[in-house]
Amino acid sequence: MKQDNILALNKTFFDEAIAIAEKGTHCGMCRIDFLETGLCPSGKKYGFVAYWPQGRMEIIKHLKDGKIKPTEKLIEIANSCTLCGICDKQCNFATQLRPEKVARALKEYVNKLDKRKLQTIDEDDILKGLREIVGKEWATNDPVIIASYIRSIIPPGVELNFYIVMPKNTEEVSKIVKFANKNNIPFLPRSGGTALSVATPTVLSNATSLDHGIVIDLLRLKKLEIHPENCTAVVGAGVTAFELQKAAYKHKLRANVAEAGAHYCANIATTGVITTWGNSYGCLADNFIDLVIVDNDGNIKKHSDMGISNPYTTEHGFTNISLNPSYIITEATAKLFPVFDDEEAIFVPFDNLKDALDMVIELGRRGVGLSLAVLSYKYLAEFICPTPKIAKDFEDICKNYLKLRYVVDVVCDKDDKKIVEEMAEYTIDQSFMKTLILGSPKLASLKDSEFMKILSEEENPLKAIFAGPMRKHFEKGLDATPEQLASVHDKDLQDFFKKVYSKPEMTNVVWLHAFRILPSRLMRQRMTMGPGGAIWAGDKNHILKWVDMFAEVGNKYNLEHALGFISPLDNGKFIYIEYDYFYNHNDPDVANRISKTLLETTEKSLVMGHIFTLINYLFKGIYRKEHVLYPLFEGLTKEEQELFREVLHSVLGEFEEW
Amino acid sequence: MVKFLSEEWIEFGKKYILEKLDPEKDMKNISTSLLGIIEHVPPNDTTMSFYLELKDGKLNDFKVNRSGSFEEKDAKYVIRGNYGTYKDILQGKIGTAMAILKNRLILKGSKMEALKIIKPLDGLIESLRKITDEFEE
Repeated sequence: MKQDNILALNKTFFDEAIAIAEKGTHCGMCRIDFLETGLCPSGKKYGFVAYWPQGRMEIIKHLKDGKIKPTEKLIEIANSCTLCGICDKQCNFATQLRPEKVARALKEYVNKLDKRKLQTIDEDDILKGLREIVGKEWATNDPVIIASYIRSIIPPGVELNFYIVMPKNTEEVSKIVKFANKNNIPFLPRSGGTALSVATPTVLSNATSLDHGIVIDLLRLKKLEIHPENCTAVVGAGVTAFELQKAAYKHKLRANVAEAGAHYCANIATTGVITTWGNSYGCLADNFIDLVIVDNDGNIKKHSDMGISNPYTTEHGFTNISLNPSYIITEATAKLFPVFDDEEAIFVPFDNLKDALDMVIELGRRGVGLSLAVLSYKYLAEFICPTPKIAKDFEDICKNYLKLRYVVDVVCDKDDKKIVEEMAEYTIDQSFMKTLILGSPKLASLKDSEFMKILSEEENPLKAIFAGPMRKHFEKGLDATPEQLASVHDKDLQDFFKKVYSKPEMTNVVWLHAFRILPSRLMRQRMTMGPGGAIWAGDKNHILKWVDMFAEVGNKYNLEHALGFISPLDNGKFIYIEYDYFYNHNDPDVANRISKTLLETTEKSLVMGHIFTLINYLFKGIYRKEHVLYPLFEGLTKEEQELFREVLHSVLGEFEEW
Repeated sequence: MVKFLSEEWIEFGKKYILEKLDPEKDMKNISTSLLGIIEHVPPNDTTMSFYLELKDGKLNDFKVNRSGSFEEKDAKYVIRGNYGTYKDILQGKIGTAMAILKNRLILKGSKMEALKIIKPLDGLIESLRKITDEFEE
């Protein structure tokens, strides 16, 4: 944006909009109706990311730094916003940001533009060809629209030499791929874009993004059919986890889904849907009955076709790495599972990981529970606390006063609940968890209080709180009401949030596990990188050593870090671990340290052996777990370690070694 | 400087590799063969291929088929991709390993074994980059 245009605006107002935009991490929650507010009308109508709140946030930054100039489309984007306020409500729930201020700043900016000086964008032959496939309004080479895809498929710093195209069905995807190949243009599909956003600030940015070519935005593939008679759902590539789950729940069925904003088909393609329900519902190719894919040549194939070679197997070994999909899943026939009337969530608190690990593996092997995981205090705090400050204080209380470092988190029926209760000395039930959710601001305010000091001096503070006489007083003292929780939001949103937190599902822990609207809070106003992977469950010392390695590397690079979750797979034979590092995505120095962390922890994991790292997981989702995980490969030899570094250098170019 | 996949390109390439690349230091004495299939070659959307054979780090064979593909069974590795990808590699916009990992080049053969020869191959491609300045449009 030229300086004179910036000056023409209210500078404080504009600076505030930029500050909001910079904090955005593209969690994608503004594209799903998770608070029953309805969807952003402009995004819903026009589709391209530019018309959604997250797109406007990206655009305003690039107007400011001069990467893009105003076009006719910019005016349409700005004016298409009705200032309805939906984005403020949605984004505030997840990240506490107010994206409507960005939309207002954009409106003010375009109002002051000299419309005669807009940049005009010509339709070239490639755009013409793409428009012949999808229709005029669904393909563009407008730099303003292209810029909205930066950081969620386009890496920062490249020229905007792209086309964005939004097909409506598999046939159009196939034609686009054939057209791209014929014209020698690279292409990459985009769904929710969150995984790419996570990779963008790191050394993986160029490896996972598209540096020029055609972005195939799959949002319009919205086919969604639930077939209760055979417990399946037909899911188009534009359908999010939340949308699928909502449709399935109407039939008392449940899908195994990733975070609410993730697109179901893309999640199958990337990691095969990693969830806490995996031990019961399966992982990788367990998730689906059939797929419709478009391969790299543009051919439409189904997994069930008799004429194709085995689509469920892949090469073994640590070098089997893919950084992009070799196929586009346009439709999946997903498995659905029954929702039982007597489902409940139950938590077993622990002050150490070893005991928590023992329990979760035991439960996994016995097949107890539908969703099963160890969560760290950090995950718990981030998920249930409405603001980063409250989460931080909540964390301190859990870690330092209550000695609540881990919980074994089980969603189960009443029979399994009895088993868990028999195994545990004391538990946190659903009602108490509801109290912790609604009372989190009050609990956080008790940090450094006399009460907490006395409690921390107890021999077993956890037992004192959850199984002793203090429990009743503690629950009462937390003043756990929707009013209290809503009061931490901006004044003008408090009435809205009071209604939101009064809804039963917002404190129903089973619902929250199934719909996964809370993980977006891990990305609020800063980025999370969560390496990890699968490991044999048989050697607990090996597992603990692995977790310690992640912590040591985090300390070495001076990062905020914590275990995320541990969840069993395949009847407790494996466990999946996510270890999280948190950082400011706008700070190149910390992003550099995150890159080193990612590479170093990956190499160390491979050297340790019997570990399938997150990097190996990428784009294995369509294969059978039996081919992917059995057997987990041995630790790298010295020669293989050298090869690993050679490949890294070939792929990533020069980087500082550790 | 010559046009990619032309007869001159082959001759220049052979000469450059023989004169400039040390079989031990640069090519690590590798013995392997590679068939590169190039699809969607402009302007007529044709397919071409090249076959490259190294023995103990020395170039043993390097040839181009301008009207289709050589026999796949003759090569230890087969890589397949469109003309634009090969062009990007020869212009240094993307590395061979990255093109394979990003599925812009489809590899037939063991990925583990293929990645082992990436480093010497990178040196070879670097050499070919120095002699290539013209592409089909």
